[in-house]
Amino acid sequence: MEDKQNNSLLIIILDTNPVWWGRKQLANDQLTLSHCVDCVTVLADSHLMLTHKNKLAVIAAHTDHSVFLYPRPQSEKSMAVKLPDDGQYEVFSQVEGQLRSQIQRLIAADKVKIDDMYEVAEQPSDSLVAGAISMALCYTHRLEKECPIGETLSTRILIIKGSNDCPSQYMNFMNAVFTAQKLNIVIDACVLDSDSGLLQQACDITNGIYLKIPQPLGLLQYLTWVFLPDPNTRSKMALPPRAQVDYRAACFCHRHLIDIGYVCSVCLSIYCTFSPICSTCQTTFKIVGPQKLMKKKKKL
Amino acid sequence: MGDEDDKGYRWETEYEKTWEELHEDESGSLQASVDDILHRAKRRLLQDRVTNVRLGMMRHLFIVIDASSAMSDQDLKPTRLIATLKLLEFFVEEYFDQNPISQLGLLISRNKRAEKITELGGNPRRHIKALETLSTQACQGEFSLQNSLELALSTLKHMPSHASRELLVIMGSLTTCDPGDIKEHIKVLFTQDCANIRCSVIGLSAEVRICKTLCQRTGGTYNVILDESHFKDLLSQHVTPPPATCDRKVIINFYLLLGFPHHTLGGDKDTGEKPSMCMCHLDSKTSQGFSTTGYFCPQCKSKYCELPIECKACSLTLVSAPHLARSYHHLFPPEPYKEFLTSDIVTDGQVCCYACQIEILDPHVYVCGKCEKYFCLDCDLFAHETLHSCPGCASSRNLQTIQATSIS
Repeated sequence: MEDKQNNSLLIIILDTNPVWWGRKQLANDQLTLSHCVDCVTVLADSHLMLTHKNKLAVIAAHTDHSVFLYPRPQSEKSMAVKLPDDGQYEVFSQVEGQLRSQIQRLIAADKVKIDDMYEVAEQPSDSLVAGAISMALCYTHRLEKECPIGETLSTRILIIKGSNDCPSQYMNFMNAVFTAQKLNIVIDACVLDSDSGLLQQACDITNGIYLKIPQPLGLLQYLTWVFLPDPNTRSKMALPPRAQVDYRAACFCHRHLIDIGYVCSVCLSIYCTFSPICSTCQTTFKIVGPQKLMKKKKKL
Repeated sequence: MGDEDDKGYRWETEYEKTWEELHEDESGSLQASVDDILHRAKRRLLQDRVTNVRLGMMRHLFIVIDASSAMSDQDLKPTRLIATLKLLEFFVEEYFDQNPISQLGLLISRNKRAEKITELGGNPRRHIKALETLSTQACQGEFSLQNSLELALSTLKHMPSHASRELLVIMGSLTTCDPGDIKEHIKVLFTQDCANIRCSVIGLSAEVRICKTLCQRTGGTYNVILDESHFKDLLSQHVTPPPATCDRKVIINFYLLLGFPHHTLGGDKDTGEKPSMCMCHLDSKTSQGFSTTGYFCPQCKSKYCELPIECKACSLTLVSAPHLARSYHHLFPPEPYKEFLTSDIVTDGQVCCYACQIEILDPHVYVCGKCEKYFCLDCDLFAHETLHSCPGCASSRNLQTIQATSIS
């Protein structure tokens, strides 16, 4: 094993939804964004410290777009490099500096937007995590190509999320998750608030860990304990048990969870009862049930 | 097929100066130039892909593998047969990945006869295992196209007409040894029962007239491989579902009855759950599959350790919701990106790819028509071939709602 050079890439996707973090602030919650960013920085530094081969990327999933917080494109990097004067490892100060300045920029941009509008429009309280995952996958894809011969790159994605799921992202999200599964990328999720069905499925499909943290203040401890070890060493550790995932489908007509459903052969929409016209693709169906269907109905 | 006939043979067309497209880079290597050409070819393929057509999502595909003595040739390393089997293993995985509710069966043809290796089924592991055992067997005798067709048709005939029925022949031999008139047999393919069976052939040596006729008549494709990587590309073209055949007489609209099983995680001592054997590992000698966890069929409560699968007890097809979601990308593919010259776009020095942050040094940059973000060629291919969604659109709020309304 030693002769194989293994680079481990950790991509952290941080939910920076201003609405959700703002509500936390208003409710005088002890968990604030700055505390969260501190924890993420510690996790990132610890990951980089394990071996110098380890790589890192941090992406912010914002309410209306996603941004790479670290690393920034080559052109910007050269401007902002400032060597630390206290003997700190250069990469650490770079990570910390870029994370902070980029988040600051995000918030400032939001503020400008709100100031510009006289009537403040309702900001959605969910974040576009699927876009961030897609970007993470593209980034991995690129690094894998750049990887020198004889070295391998193993990637995992950690999603730290507080806000709600965005139901309209279902398709994009699932596409990203299946791509991750295909590329052998593990998706871990650390959920700060309410359970997320989408992330549960994502972690289950890619064999990652899903954790809803019981104590928001202990975030750092959970991050370093559960999410720092790479998937190979996880089997040797006592980690929280895997959660039960509900894989049942919701029918398109009533949004009920169903056990057995009718699926349109043209567009794969799911219905709980037989309806002669598919409401998604407007196909008409023969009402005379085929033999196979009738037989099955008797068995019910 | 039509325009290929017009073109005639390749040696009759104008002389192509293929070497003029190659340019050495600074280090004197041709690799970059070659990669570039390959990429552009791939991109062209992607753009040719038609959208907004009714696809045959539920496929029944038989693969006929030639195992005649012609397959022991060593022009593909180590032999044609072993190279084919290796690629097919990969194909089977991809096929079930892209077509979660489809079925596949394997046939081989040798000694002038055709044998069924695996029945039509939805379990990739079974097919891969069968392929592995095949590689130890010797190639013998002659290939028979007619017998293979007959055997495949005897099963495909009974498949429901709403599903797309396909046949893929991988043929190394240049001859076929048939008991009757093969042309008559191809005509049979147009009778009521057998209508809508699409036959495609991949030739490993040279073009054979009868295969070409077969493919033309049934709406399939006929290709002859150039080398191993071309072989792989040709196989991967068969991974995406083909447009459904528009035969008015045949009703292709149909409701499928599918089961969405519960996943139960054992370990709860309070519920008094007992470990049990799952249905897929009943035959295995080991203790694999003996546990409290598993998926339970909603109809008959048989246990399975993986999905998708057809319930052995009540023949209900069991899938999980993500499996269905996985096929949605065929229905709503991302729009192809537009190609622009980098020099037209750059205003202040550099453009960076939105998705992977790489600085775009390529003379071309790719722009999504919807979200108007810039991408590099690598990400363009990756987004369309693997990811099936645009990273820019996925992280843009106003495009979410558009997409959502177009689906539901």
